[in-house]
Amino acid sequence: MKGRSFLANGRWQPALVWAIALVALWEAFSWYLLEVREVPLAQSKLPYVHEIIQTFGNYGDTLFKEGKVTFGNAGLGFLLGAAAGVVLAILMSVSKPVEQLTFPYAIASQMIPILGLAPIIYGIVHDEKLSRILIAGYITFFPVSLNMLRGLRSVQPIALELMRSYAAKPWSVYWKLRFPASLPSLFSGLKIAAPLAVTGAILVELMGAQHGVGVIMLRNLYYGPSHTYMFWSTVIVGAVLGVLSYLLISVIERIAAPWQPDLRAKQGGER
Amino acid sequence: MTTAAEAAAMMPEIQMDQVSMRYRANSNEVLALQQVSLTIGKGEFVSLLGPSGCGKTTLLRIMADLLEPTGGTVTVAGKTAKEARLAQKYGIVFQSPVLYDWRKVKANIAMPLELMGLKKAEREKKAMELLELVGLQAFKDKYPWQLSGGMQQRVAIARALAMEPEILLMDEPFSALDEFSRERLNEELLSIWSAVRNTVVFVTHSIPEAIFLSDRVFVLSPHPGRLSAVVEIDLPRPRTKEMRNSPEFFRLIGRIRDSFEGV
Repeated sequence: MKGRSFLANGRWQPALVWAIALVALWEAFSWYLLEVREVPLAQSKLPYVHEIIQTFGNYGDTLFKEGKVTFGNAGLGFLLGAAAGVVLAILMSVSKPVEQLTFPYAIASQMIPILGLAPIIYGIVHDEKLSRILIAGYITFFPVSLNMLRGLRSVQPIALELMRSYAAKPWSVYWKLRFPASLPSLFSGLKIAAPLAVTGAILVELMGAQHGVGVIMLRNLYYGPSHTYMFWSTVIVGAVLGVLSYLLISVIERIAAPWQPDLRAKQGGER
Repeated sequence: MTTAAEAAAMMPEIQMDQVSMRYRANSNEVLALQQVSLTIGKGEFVSLLGPSGCGKTTLLRIMADLLEPTGGTVTVAGKTAKEARLAQKYGIVFQSPVLYDWRKVKANIAMPLELMGLKKAEREKKAMELLELVGLQAFKDKYPWQLSGGMQQRVAIARALAMEPEILLMDEPFSALDEFSRERLNEELLSIWSAVRNTVVFVTHSIPEAIFLSDRVFVLSPHPGRLSAVVEIDLPRPRTKEMRNSPEFFRLIGRIRDSFEGV
């Protein structure tokens, strides 16, 4: 029932038409800049899509390899940051003093520009891989802990009273009530954080690394107009990685919390 | 017949002695309950009836040890309310069903059983029995939000009965439902109760509902909340929906209405 839904109901058709129209428009405008207006460095401003696709064909393996490095580091950092965020949210929800003590710092930490923080962290750890992981984790941490805390607090007082009437242990109240109730919020935090973690990892790569999408992005930017198509390819790879991370979290959400309000309507036909 | 009041005197389940509840709202002190004393017998079905602000829900919450009274004592089966709560003697049904969205119907009912530490096979068996009791076997694998309001409340009742509580406390459980569903659920509740036969304290602001269900009706008046009358309901059991149209039924409605106007 679910398998056929997307392909069979024809909802992909408008999306396809839209995509084709967009590419055609892009090509036309690119041609206009290059051939009609003869703008200097026209291809750097808006390159031909077919040229970029060709570049993907020629350098696909390189892009794939470097993309994998970036995604791997971002993913590792994301997991660490998410775990730390969840733990802090639980501590804050258990103890008001912990919240009052840590929350202002958690917010303040978000004021530090990543651009400035990255070299500082690199200066301390002296390891490009580790710095990428740390920055990705750092970016992930805040939205996850904030949303998780909100989720843990989303439990109705009356549901807690019901637990009290069962004489439930505090641990059970967390495990059986607060934690499952927090899942929708947790996932919205994770969905915000995942693409940010990828962006963060790329940013660190731009500042000096051996591998990753950011490295070839910077290199091709540096080489100038002759490498325009490769540069655009790396930008697209970066974007695709971000989208991929988001989709990955969405899929996990569907498995872990299929009951949550956002996912109900789409199941349809049940009522 | 031996009246329920006599039975209550013999086997008291809940005794409240001079129970008062004061709230401090801003600088004003509100007296929510003024020295309420009552005794509810084992296996009795009683209602706490009154208009909003009469403290009926407060009274129920004090019985359940969800609130601590500012004065007086509560004794439940010879213990304090807290001891009774920790001994898992209560089942509670609120106005909203408070079901767990992430659990299917059967797992919702099994929640208290998990907290009691029952083995999985026992939980399954007990949950299925309860589903049968409330007539929802066919919906065991549905999520709560896939059910109607009345069905959700039946799940909540089944869940409240899971621990086989000595005392079932119900706080306006059907007031969010339409009149037709409410009357049907009243009948269902009585048929469930006839199988379980525990002590039920039922909070409502509907006079016919209180009469139809109860052995005795405790009438409460507001400002300050106090017990103003206790009305014995001498309609025979099992109660049938035809009784709602009987002269006795209307006589009881009149009596209870009078007891309000008397204060």
